[in-house]
Amino acid sequence: MSEMIKETKLQKALAAVGRGAVYIVMSLFALMTLYPIFWLIMNSFKTTREFQVSQLAFPRAPTLQNYVEAWKMGDFGLLFPNSVLYTLGATAGIIFLSLMAGFAFAKLKSRATKPIYNSFVIGILLTTQTLMIPLFLEVNLLGLYNTRLAVLLVYIGAGLPIGIYLATEYIKAIPSAVVESARIDGAGFFTIFLKIIVPMSVPVATTLAMLNITGLWNEFALINILVSKTELKSLPLGIYKFSGSLSTDYGKQFAALTIGMVPMLVFYMIFSKQITKGVAAGAIKG
Amino acid sequence: MKKGLFVFLVLIIALGSVMAQEKVTLNVLNYQQADQAGYQEDVAIWKRFQELNPDITLNMEVLFNEPYHQKLQAYAAAGTLPDVFYVWPTARSAVIHEKKLAKDLSKLLGPDFLKDFSGAATDPNNQLGKYMAMLPQSFTYTSVMYVNKKLLADNGFDLPKTYDDLKKMVPKLKAKGINVIMLPDKDGWPMQSCLFSTVLGRMAGNSFVDAILAGKAKFTDKPFVDSLKVIDNLYKDGIIAREDNQVGYGEAPGLFVSGKATIYIDGDWRVGAYITDKASGKALIPPAAQESDFALLPFPAIPGEVNPGVLSAIAGTGWAISASIPAGSAKEKAAVRLIKYLYSDEVQAIRYSTGAYVPTRKNVKANVEPLVAKVPLFYAANPKTCYVFDGMFDPAVYNVVNDGLIAIGLGTSTPEKVAADVQKAYETWKASQK
Amino acid sequence: MPRVKVRPGILVLFYEKLEALQRRPKKRFNKRCKKWNAVYESLAISGVAMVHLNRVHLEEKRAYWAMVMPAFALYLLVMAFPIILSIMLSVSNYSGGKMFGGEKWGFAGFSAYARVFTDPWFWNALKNNLYIVLISVFGQLPLGFIFAYFIYSKIVRAPSFWQGVLYVPNIISVIVVGLLWQVIFSPHGPIAEIVNSIHASSFQGQLKAIFDGAGGFSLSDDVIKKILHLAGPSGQAMFSDPVPELRDLLASYNGQPISEIYTALSNLFVQKWSPAFLTKTDIAMLPVLFVILWMYTGMYLILFLANMQKIDAQIIESARIDGANEGQVMRYIILPALSGTIVNSAILAISGSLSSFALIFAMTGGGPSRVTEILSIYMYNNAFLGRPNFPLANAISLIMVLISVVLIVLTKAVEKRYGGKEE
Repeated sequence: MSEMIKETKLQKALAAVGRGAVYIVMSLFALMTLYPIFWLIMNSFKTTREFQVSQLAFPRAPTLQNYVEAWKMGDFGLLFPNSVLYTLGATAGIIFLSLMAGFAFAKLKSRATKPIYNSFVIGILLTTQTLMIPLFLEVNLLGLYNTRLAVLLVYIGAGLPIGIYLATEYIKAIPSAVVESARIDGAGFFTIFLKIIVPMSVPVATTLAMLNITGLWNEFALINILVSKTELKSLPLGIYKFSGSLSTDYGKQFAALTIGMVPMLVFYMIFSKQITKGVAAGAIKG
Repeated sequence: MKKGLFVFLVLIIALGSVMAQEKVTLNVLNYQQADQAGYQEDVAIWKRFQELNPDITLNMEVLFNEPYHQKLQAYAAAGTLPDVFYVWPTARSAVIHEKKLAKDLSKLLGPDFLKDFSGAATDPNNQLGKYMAMLPQSFTYTSVMYVNKKLLADNGFDLPKTYDDLKKMVPKLKAKGINVIMLPDKDGWPMQSCLFSTVLGRMAGNSFVDAILAGKAKFTDKPFVDSLKVIDNLYKDGIIAREDNQVGYGEAPGLFVSGKATIYIDGDWRVGAYITDKASGKALIPPAAQESDFALLPFPAIPGEVNPGVLSAIAGTGWAISASIPAGSAKEKAAVRLIKYLYSDEVQAIRYSTGAYVPTRKNVKANVEPLVAKVPLFYAANPKTCYVFDGMFDPAVYNVVNDGLIAIGLGTSTPEKVAADVQKAYETWKASQK
Repeated sequence: MPRVKVRPGILVLFYEKLEALQRRPKKRFNKRCKKWNAVYESLAISGVAMVHLNRVHLEEKRAYWAMVMPAFALYLLVMAFPIILSIMLSVSNYSGGKMFGGEKWGFAGFSAYARVFTDPWFWNALKNNLYIVLISVFGQLPLGFIFAYFIYSKIVRAPSFWQGVLYVPNIISVIVVGLLWQVIFSPHGPIAEIVNSIHASSFQGQLKAIFDGAGGFSLSDDVIKKILHLAGPSGQAMFSDPVPELRDLLASYNGQPISEIYTALSNLFVQKWSPAFLTKTDIAMLPVLFVILWMYTGMYLILFLANMQKIDAQIIESARIDGANEGQVMRYIILPALSGTIVNSAILAISGSLSSFALIFAMTGGGPSRVTEILSIYMYNNAFLGRPNFPLANAISLIMVLISVVLIVLTKAVEKRYGGKEE
């Protein structure tokens, strides 16, 4: 009996040490994660001349000048709404189309599934650069250059491979009995999709939302190719105005970068609970 | 009746004149970055053009650096180049020159307009396609020594005139933690563009480069190897610090001004980093100090040089007109008007005053800060120029030179080995061109 | 007979008619139609069934295409055209300028591919990319998994805090990372300062030993020679005539505190630190790999954690009650349940590593001297600078796709062997 107690005490001690070690490791990682953001925001309140002299210290005379100027010069008032539109609009499109096609591939029979699905998977592997010039040519041919529609279509199209891959895998795991019983009750496929599959797909939809929102918000290579008018541009292009390699105005550059980053941070802080809830909601399987 | 006729005539004339002013729309691709010196002035310049020319509407796109180059390639591939666009005279915009995607400006602008520009600017041989695809706004010297006179004087040194002068400065300055020459080479091109080209010009000369291009000489020949040896010695003698190979281009001006080095080598465009930033009203070097404490000097005499005093220089950027505009059309006329405006005395004076560059347009007067005013004097004092290496060779070749210079700086390679690598790269490139 | 509910329509009418027909009480009809009734009935039912099935089939087919076409059509538009054009260009002699309607260009053979495979820089870039794939699959995934497990099994508290914090790097723009990178590694940055002061102290310690050995501060030839010896050949090279020059130099410090002299000498002879390791092949990739690890682990953490939370807690409970320990729970419950997620993550990681561009471009640009160059930068340099080489760039691009395909097929094969399906 006493041996058991001794064992438990030892185990408890080891567990505590182990726990301590884990805390240390994760804290280090977290620190490394937070420091760059802290560094960026801190420096955005310094004037360029001050930054050039001391890159790591606290600003001695904090100023909002950088933000005001960067906002004006970068036309961020125009770019911000565009970014929101492109990111949210494209993400919604990707989720909807992916779930729909995923349902079709996973639960409906067709000989076309294998080739079409596989062709989507190949799309995951393409890089943005391969797409740039051909897309430019195509967009010009179709007369869609400098249109918001083109941007949305391209963003959605580019996000489909991963979206369809994940959605199909996920929906495959939904028991077919669910679909069959609904069929027996006389429901049409679209009804089944909207009323049954979609609610059950919240986890994968959340995953897709997460992947695409963070990916699209900072995207600039494709949108640079697709639009030239300032009114249609998104935030990253505005930020890039301040960040070239010959850049000497660090103050505005940091302000611009912070402006670009804050919405993502806010989005994440607000929605992190939802995200976890959403993904965990899939835990209650029927 | 007469009254009616009169009114009628007036109407006809009015109508006619309105119709004569056909509205034209021009697409423009501009190259500007919001935080560069002169951004606000640039915006104002374009606004003014619109005010002066209400019949021309401009659709302007402004890009910088990578996005600019990517977009230009995309435009070229689609054949939808903007009507007026910013362009380089040589390799950076090679596709424009080689595929003749820009019109020949010598005919469009006419000798009358072009006589106001320096010979170097109007010489088509300074452009890759050997025709005047664009008009260089500047003829920039890529090799300027920015000298902190005050710091030198405080340490008891005069302005250096020979290599030996430089060498003598090393112990005393280094003991104080000051470098003699700062040349930030993290990006690879500064050493090649801003110093090596001059050294090559001094030790070998343009004729040597021409000979290589004609297949009559090799990079492994003595003149090229000797030029590399000069760079090697600069590092070995401690004149240039080896750690400069890791210093970023953007960091350097701040370091130079805070006294970490007595001399800073870069192109003449770098004056912009030191003068007053119009937006914040602050300057890295206050104007008074610009005049009294700093000087622009040519690189000192190198032992064994055959062309004393030459400095590397290259045609600067400028504007071009897309070749796909129908000749003689209203659009073409509008484009020419825009070009003539951009190169006009007023506009070039504004650009000059922001320290962007010294115009190739002759006799441009402007209020400039002392450091900028020193630049044309520098040009006049150093009229002999030589090629800039990356203007003459393909990236496949000059990238090897850039890398080789870094290796020499770090001590991981020798002049002979680098020369051999460059020759090999050149031969491979030549073979692939067939 | 299964009750098959059918939508009202012609079929129903037909069926009902048939039923009505059957109910007609006709003797003669009955007798005669008994056989026929059976036939009619079976025909009717099978006909109805067939039509129904056909209809269902048709309905299913229609639904299938209605659901797939939007995505597929958009996909073809956005991705198929570029792929095809890319393949065409890679075997062409297109050399810039207007692609359609300009100079004529056409099939030119596979020379571009040959050039890629014989270019040592391609293999260099490929090697770097493989490093990234390895760190992604064997670094980010395990690390994300472990952190997720810590959070899941409540080894650390405040799960949402940790989740949030560890995911944050994903949100930071790569430009910021690139800037920080430059600042940290600059020869005038924080690391340099620390290293330099360490070197300086040790050098000064050795100086002190020399002076002590000579009985205090002195400028005798012996002392000077010892200092020069300490300085090494690179230090000596900056003098034309070392001994007298160094003596004169030190003499000029007469009257100043000895620390000044120490500082002066260490400034002269101690090699200032610079991240020279960043120029060495392979070693230069280490910091880059570390940043990649740091940046994307959070995403996998979230994926794994979410799927862990999907596991039915009761199963684990009962396993624990049955006496299973952590290791067994992990091996028999958690890992199998997550095998699908692991495979998906591996695929995401592989495709992400091979196509990654912006982060490394911002940090090192592929340099210095191309030591950190990866395939996408290698391709970029051939496609967008000055005189682009489209055939070459597109050949590289397609080779990249092929490599990805190979890796993903491998991953799936591994999954078949070791993993298990969730169902």
